[in-house]
Amino acid sequence: MKQIALYGKGGIGKSTTAANLSAALAGEGLDILQIGCDPKHDSTRMLMHGTWIPTVLDLIRERGDENITADDVVYEGFRGVRCVEAGGPEPGIGCAGRGIIATFQLLERLNALKGDVIVYDVLGDVVCGGFAMPMREGYAREIYLVTSGELMSVYAANNIAKAIARLSRRVRSRCTLGGVICNAKNIEGEQELVEEFARRINSRLIAYIPRSRIVQVAELQKQTVVEYAPESDQAAVYQELARTIYGNETTSIPTPLEMDELESFALEFVQV
Amino acid sequence: MNSNPSPSNSSRFEGCTLTGALSVTTEIRDAISIIHGPAGCTHHNFSLLHATLLSNDRLEVPRLLSTRLTENGIIFGGEEALEKTLTRALSLSPASIFVLSTCIVETIGDDTEAVCAKDRGVPVIAVPTAGFLGGVFEAGIRNALSTVASLARPAAGTTLSANLVGEKNLEYGVDENAAEIARLLGRLGIGVNLRFVRGIETGDVERLGSAAVNILREPALRPVGEDLERRLGTPYVDSFPTGLAGTCRFLEEVGRICGVDASAAIEEEHAFQAAMLGRFADIAGSRVHFQSPHPMLRGDPGAEAICTECAEALDLTADPDGAAIPYPYPAPVGTAGLQRMLHRWRILIREKQRG
Repeated sequence: MKQIALYGKGGIGKSTTAANLSAALAGEGLDILQIGCDPKHDSTRMLMHGTWIPTVLDLIRERGDENITADDVVYEGFRGVRCVEAGGPEPGIGCAGRGIIATFQLLERLNALKGDVIVYDVLGDVVCGGFAMPMREGYAREIYLVTSGELMSVYAANNIAKAIARLSRRVRSRCTLGGVICNAKNIEGEQELVEEFARRINSRLIAYIPRSRIVQVAELQKQTVVEYAPESDQAAVYQELARTIYGNETTSIPTPLEMDELESFALEFVQV
Repeated sequence: MNSNPSPSNSSRFEGCTLTGALSVTTEIRDAISIIHGPAGCTHHNFSLLHATLLSNDRLEVPRLLSTRLTENGIIFGGEEALEKTLTRALSLSPASIFVLSTCIVETIGDDTEAVCAKDRGVPVIAVPTAGFLGGVFEAGIRNALSTVASLARPAAGTTLSANLVGEKNLEYGVDENAAEIARLLGRLGIGVNLRFVRGIETGDVERLGSAAVNILREPALRPVGEDLERRLGTPYVDSFPTGLAGTCRFLEEVGRICGVDASAAIEEEHAFQAAMLGRFADIAGSRVHFQSPHPMLRGDPGAEAICTECAEALDLTADPDGAAIPYPYPAPVGTAGLQRMLHRWRILIREKQRG
């Protein structure tokens, strides 16, 4: 079983990438579980054709965790991809990070963490220990950083690399960096920038996903691109991404950049 | 961000903020203290307070309720649990309710004050007591005293009386010490207005402002003394008296603040002290060796001076081979406290002489 997690700045396209990745992996005949780890609980929505599935934490809140079965939290979507949403407390109250930890404990107890590949789609920033949960305790072994060539997005990716570097030093942790995915915003020199960033943090660019209008069109149809336009170039990109990740055996411990290194890196690449 | 206050005078500058605050709020006997957090925070403190009450011969049960938060309360927020516990507390008809926070509810950002702000017919008062924010036992006492003081009414005028502020309710000699202060104040014709806070009722706090002087238990309570002076205009003496000369100085200071001539009282107390020392003439001239009360404990910083003063008064000689006498902790209060200390010295000196 391969367990991977996608991390990156909020709004960068993690969920779109994750859903298309899961759909493409399922197209290879693999049994896929995708777990959305964000209180917004919209990670699996395109796989579920627009349906908001009940979140694990909603169920815990309503029923208590004693009376929940795997069938209550796992929903089959496109190509049989099994979808789970962790959910969270109401915005502005409680502790979403602890909610992620409770979700993992419940999924573990329900024996729901299985399949050929588990894809964890996590909140933009690793704001606290709870949101690092997918990286801990041997859950996700490979982390993929999703970033565009925008500097704020690269900064966020660098921050996440710090979390990976820290957690990989722990004895029980087996989390490593699988690679960097460039989800392009169509900025000049974007691929080179992200490629160089990946190299400097001791990793590599494993996929370049061009910006394409078809992603938005598919989303309006509440579908992944892989489902909506399977013959499109964009679908081919996701299929290639799926094959690369599934076959990826090269991972690394990242060497995140210091702030001054990041700033001089930015100066090198951004034409003023 | 908070950082620990630097310890200045005792090991009470450690420990749990919550416990410090509870040692105050549970002494308001018609109040209920709600601890907003996991059940364990309440159980632990209940046991401590109950045991302390028993060791002071008080067959009472501390009036504590817990919001009993569990993991779901932490994830989804604990304010609902606090509402329910407040309803339960109200059903027991308390005169006031104190809501004390714990580390975990401050971490997740529960708005305890907002929940307490609703009108429920009796005062419901939030006391911030999360220890991880840098507060310690002593900070809990200070927070609680200042919070309880919000129940005071502005006084029309003052009477020739004093408040005892911040008695150490968890210490063994708390009532003896209060009695000693009452005896000393009696020499000046000054009565005790309020023990703030020990064994009182919610309504009693209203008269907090009618004393002419506040007598703080120890200098660490100065912020509370300042706070009460600002709010109610009552000047303060910053500590219960310690030592022979210190006790006389205390009479002088209280007299000055209250506008009472203390010279006669001081003379009487001098004579009282001389008579007390006279009863220990049998140990005069003995050899003694003062030492830390325990290798794990720091002594009371005032203790050394007090021991030296008493040793001189009784003509004791410092000698490493003399009877080992621990520095007292906490420092004994007033002349009566010294008398109890000298009783213990006599026992140790006699034991040493017997070999």
